[in-house]
Amino acid sequence: MPEPILALEAVTLLSPEGRAVFRDLDWELPRGARFQARGGAGGGCTALLRLCAGIAEPHAGRVLLDGAPIEPGAHHPFLRRGLLGWVPSDGGLAVNLTLLENVALPLRFAQNLDRQEAERRAFDWLERAGLGPLARKRPAVPGDRDSWVASLARAAAKGSRLWLVDRPAGGLDLASIQAAELILSQAGLDPEVTIVLVGGAWMPSLGQELHIGNGRVFSGGGP
Amino acid sequence: MPERLACSLGARVRRAFGQLGSLSWLLGKCLQGGFRLSREQRRVVWEIARTQIRFTALDALPLCFFTALLLGGITLLQVFGQLSAFGAERHISQILAQLVIRELGPLMVGILVISRSGTAMATEMAGRKLSGELDALYASGVDPVPCLLVPRLLGGVVSVFALVVVFDTVALLGGFLVAWLRLPVSFAFFLGALGEAIGHRELTTTFFKCLVFGTAIPLVCTGYGLRVKRSTTEIPQAVTKASVVSLAVLLVASAILSILIYA
Repeated sequence: MPEPILALEAVTLLSPEGRAVFRDLDWELPRGARFQARGGAGGGCTALLRLCAGIAEPHAGRVLLDGAPIEPGAHHPFLRRGLLGWVPSDGGLAVNLTLLENVALPLRFAQNLDRQEAERRAFDWLERAGLGPLARKRPAVPGDRDSWVASLARAAAKGSRLWLVDRPAGGLDLASIQAAELILSQAGLDPEVTIVLVGGAWMPSLGQELHIGNGRVFSGGGP
Repeated sequence: MPERLACSLGARVRRAFGQLGSLSWLLGKCLQGGFRLSREQRRVVWEIARTQIRFTALDALPLCFFTALLLGGITLLQVFGQLSAFGAERHISQILAQLVIRELGPLMVGILVISRSGTAMATEMAGRKLSGELDALYASGVDPVPCLLVPRLLGGVVSVFALVVVFDTVALLGGFLVAWLRLPVSFAFFLGALGEAIGHRELTTTFFKCLVFGTAIPLVCTGYGLRVKRSTTEIPQAVTKASVVSLAVLLVASAILSILIYA
């Protein structure tokens, strides 16, 4: 059996108020799996993604990404190589950079592409996402929905192996849904690529359901 | 009562050392990250540093020019009043040069940089941390330390150095203008006296003060900006702390360097 791309071992995560979001959680994400994560507000979907991305530190237990534990204070090699496609609700783009620069930055910094090649690849993905005309504008101008789509384009341009996609703040319009579907379908062509998409009722073809709630994670039919 | 006083004092000292420790750790991370940059990463860092230099040095030039001109003139007026009582007006340019180059120039530039750019850096870092931008950068493969902090340190050192050179020159010129209005001094005489007053120790002082101030201000300000945790109400507190602590660091570092070089 191939090694899972992500494994949570006896993970406990507490909220800032001290409430347990997850307690002794064991969960594995198989390589190449596609999940649509479902859970109520405050159910822990975003917290699970943050744990998996190494952004939230568990209070107990450990998170293994690509076989190696995520250590606090050290940039995990999987992240350093730009293989994680992290798409938070608001897109997480730098507001002082244009969409093009935002998408090109990890290509230059993590994958050492020169500026010209990085921007060419970034523009190509932004255009596929329907954001070509906005490529030279800063994220504050297009708004959160476009930032979220641009963040998807960033993950695609890097050739991410693991996609952790949170639901966009404020919902999606038809154009954004089409752009997101296109990007995720193209990413999904590679059987090695793993995708966890929170929400995503707009993309029923993606794969299995993952239910998150009451501090537990279930795939398939739910608890 | 004495026990409580000692406990309170001890806690403050411990906290101060803790803060010094965390700033040293951040400086270590910056140096480590800075030396490990690849060629393309160095290009990215230099592009960000260039923007920082534009904001910190170029945009501050009018304020720097105005402050230096006034300060040079006022200092000369004060010194002139004291020296003329002893008939020692001819030493005026040496004293002005030593005052401005050794102490006032770097210190005033440091204060200008803290008030204009240091506070901006602290606010920017705090805002970026709260909005999740830093987390997104980190998860996307961009380590925020070499990508955001190293260019600010680099930009800080270059900017402080450039501003100190401009400040010293303009302050000395401002001093000369006032002297010229009150004394029969020629520009050639003034320059000659300056040449005698400026030695290698003045240049060493300027170099080390620029290096220390240019590193310390961005380090302290970004460090305090990054300490915010959850709420936007923490941002003004972080900015206040950043400016107060960097001012204290500036004064202490200036005093230590002056004692080491001139005592």
